[in-house]
Amino acid sequence: MKARRRVVTASGTPAKRRPTVRRIKPAIAPIVRDGVAATVRRPAVPSTVTPTPAPPATPVDLAVDLGRGLVLRNPVLVASGTFGYGIEYGDVVDVQRLGAICCKGTTLRPRIGNPTPRVTETPGGMLNSIGLQNPGVDAVVEKYASTWAGWQVPVIVNVAGESIGDYVEVARRLEGVPGVAGIELNISCPNVGAGGIQFAIDASAAGAVTAAVRRATDLPLLVKLSPNVADVRPIARAIADAGADALTAVNTLSGIAVAASRERPLLGNVYGGLSGPAIKPVALRIVYEVSQVVDIPVVAIGGIAELGDVLDYLAVGAVAAQVGTAIFADPGLPVRLVGELADECRRRGLDSYRPLIGSALPKRAAPPSARGVEYRP
Amino acid sequence: MRIAGAQLLDSREILPGQWLQAYHAPDLVAGARAGQFVHVRTGDYSGLVLRRPFSYNTIDPLAGTLTIHFRTVGRGTAWFTHLRPGDRIDMLGPLGRPFEVDPRNRHLLLIAGGLGIAGVRALADEAIRDGRQVTLLFGAATARDVYPSSLLPDEVEYVVATDDGSLGHHGFVTELVPGYEAWADQAFACGPAPMLRSLANLAASRRQRLGVATLGRKRGAGKTVPAGSPQARRKAFLQVSMEQNMGCAVGACLGCVVMTTAGTPQRVCREGPVFAAEEIAWEGGW
Ligand SMILES: Cc1cc2nc3c(=O)[nH]c(=O)nc-3n(C[C@H](O)[C@H](O)[C@H](O)COP(=O)(O)OP(=O)(O)OC[C@H]3O[C@@H](n4cnc5c(N)ncnc54)[C@H](O)[C@@H]3O)c2cc1C
Ligand SMILES: Cc1cc2nc3c(=O)[nH]c(=O)nc-3n(C[C@H](O)[C@H](O)[C@H](O)COP(=O)(O)O)c2cc1C
Ligand code: FES
Repeated sequence: MKARRRVVTASGTPAKRRPTVRRIKPAIAPIVRDGVAATVRRPAVPSTVTPTPAPPATPVDLAVDLGRGLVLRNPVLVASGTFGYGIEYGDVVDVQRLGAICCKGTTLRPRIGNPTPRVTETPGGMLNSIGLQNPGVDAVVEKYASTWAGWQVPVIVNVAGESIGDYVEVARRLEGVPGVAGIELNISCPNVGAGGIQFAIDASAAGAVTAAVRRATDLPLLVKLSPNVADVRPIARAIADAGADALTAVNTLSGIAVAASRERPLLGNVYGGLSGPAIKPVALRIVYEVSQVVDIPVVAIGGIAELGDVLDYLAVGAVAAQVGTAIFADPGLPVRLVGELADECRRRGLDSYRPLIGSALPKRAAPPSARGVEYRP
Repeated sequence: MRIAGAQLLDSREILPGQWLQAYHAPDLVAGARAGQFVHVRTGDYSGLVLRRPFSYNTIDPLAGTLTIHFRTVGRGTAWFTHLRPGDRIDMLGPLGRPFEVDPRNRHLLLIAGGLGIAGVRALADEAIRDGRQVTLLFGAATARDVYPSSLLPDEVEYVVATDDGSLGHHGFVTELVPGYEAWADQAFACGPAPMLRSLANLAASRRQRLGVATLGRKRGAGKTVPAGSPQARRKAFLQVSMEQNMGCAVGACLGCVVMTTAGTPQRVCREGPVFAAEEIAWEGGW
């Protein structure tokens, strides 16, 4: 099966295929109707026989603005590292119907990644230690950007580095490249220059790398939080103050597994990142905390496997959600969630999903508190 | 590559802890070739979040059926044994690249260690259908684990080795290989990594041992074929089917790589699982 490009608009008329949309203008906010696609293109000259149109479903506005003109047609993204460069699942997923694609972590120079085994299943989740294998930013641009430029769906390039200089240089090389809609900084990487401490666990380092990349590019800038910290709020604030357009939360939780022989750790790299349903309560807590202390949009990630998970994240303040590990079992899930979210809104008599956002947050604005930290075991 | 439903027709424990299951899955059978695999979803996402990869053990395009042959080693494989005929599960396939037989070759040597039989079983069918001669060398720990000859086509010459000598040759299956090196035009292997590694070493020194004169162009000289291409595998004496833990099985997560002699990791699910033995960096490489 070939990937088909389908665009559905409220009126059922075909939307024009746009050329490169680096920034998608808010004006296009197509609406998914019942998750069912209408025709891609109609012939320029309509045939004499008019097909009976499907009964029009109430349009639901799913568009979401992540800042700097990065407007997604719907709030369901696919998470970095779980969807390759957007082409690998092309046979079985209609990628054009996704809100956005976050591509595999990209570094300045090529990386061969970690020794194997690199993945293993754990109860309700999985550990991975890919080690950021990627061909380097120049090869990524050369190989994939022209394909992305022909897509409706925005592609956000996930960027990793070992120094602030690395991040800045990758961002520079992505600036102005047709097909690149934004940048997501993966700051869960050791800062080699600063003794290998991860940027993500230190508010000033996280702020500094964000500020440096902000100065280097006009691309929409998302920064991805690590859950492996005692209190994420000062870090989130530092990133927001440094000029990030949106936050994404969370990356994987650090963990290990032991080989069946019990003679060594299982993963070639010893340490791996835990993802999948097992991490959802942790990610939910972090989104809940972060969305109360920053004014920029928060995109939730962690263990999403069904609509209820998306609704939970919206309730604690996320404006959009990324699906990761669940894609491996159910590649069709992200696209299905788009339709299910629209249905859910209709069921509740809503013409937009926005009223669902923040419904479980404390009702009055309270000063940021340290509650939650105390209860952490 | 397609995602399709597969309906269980028959499920049998053919050897202790080893199951043979037949599924009706026309969409997954169409175009599938020996060496490829399916990535099978369990019905329990709350616990088992990853699919499980299994080789196409046999492929019947006319009936639209395939079989998988697996050993219960953990929770995932145990889950599949609880399925009953009529149950439907979800499979992703056909995945990966198949074995490539050089069309001129008549004598094929298949080498399987234990469950590795599932990786080369379909190739025996394909080769016999194409009028080639097939010898299958099979190694297991003990007679109890030996694949029943009744499940093989009559045309296959079947030679068994057991580690404890309880059936056939007493020792490793790799020890049988030198006896067939001169006969075989091409060899195809699937099994534990140490077995594949020693087969690769044997294959590398085969030409010298047999005193094969390199007539005309030397291997590697003249027209070069791109590494990892079907032509490269077709030219190789030994092709191996590799295993790695998998996430996506479509090339997206880079979880399943093996290191190659070129120094670039290749994905077992996409560039593999079948590789030319000389492409693999057998001593690691990271
Ligand atoms: C391309 C390919 C084809 C395969 N074909 C067959 C086959 O035909 N018959 C057969 O019996 N086995 C085959 N395997 C191995 C089979 O996939 C594993 O035995 C199975 O996944 C184990 O699952 P489990 O939950 O029972 O074991 P557990 O050990 O509980 O699994 C834990 C995790 O590790 C993974 N895992 C464990 N062992 C392996 C392994 N050897 N290879 C890959 N992943 C593993 C599992 O998929 C799971 O994600 C194949 C593997 C690959 C890569
Ligand atoms: C195999 C794999 C590779 C990943 N690679 C990256 C990466 O390169 N960059 C990154 O920021 N996050 C990476 N992640 C993290 C995911 O994007 C996501 O944050 C995490 O998996 C939690 O979401 P989930 O529970 O839905 O999978 C990876 C995750 C997995 C499972
Ligand atoms: S299993 Fe994901 S790339 Fe091979």
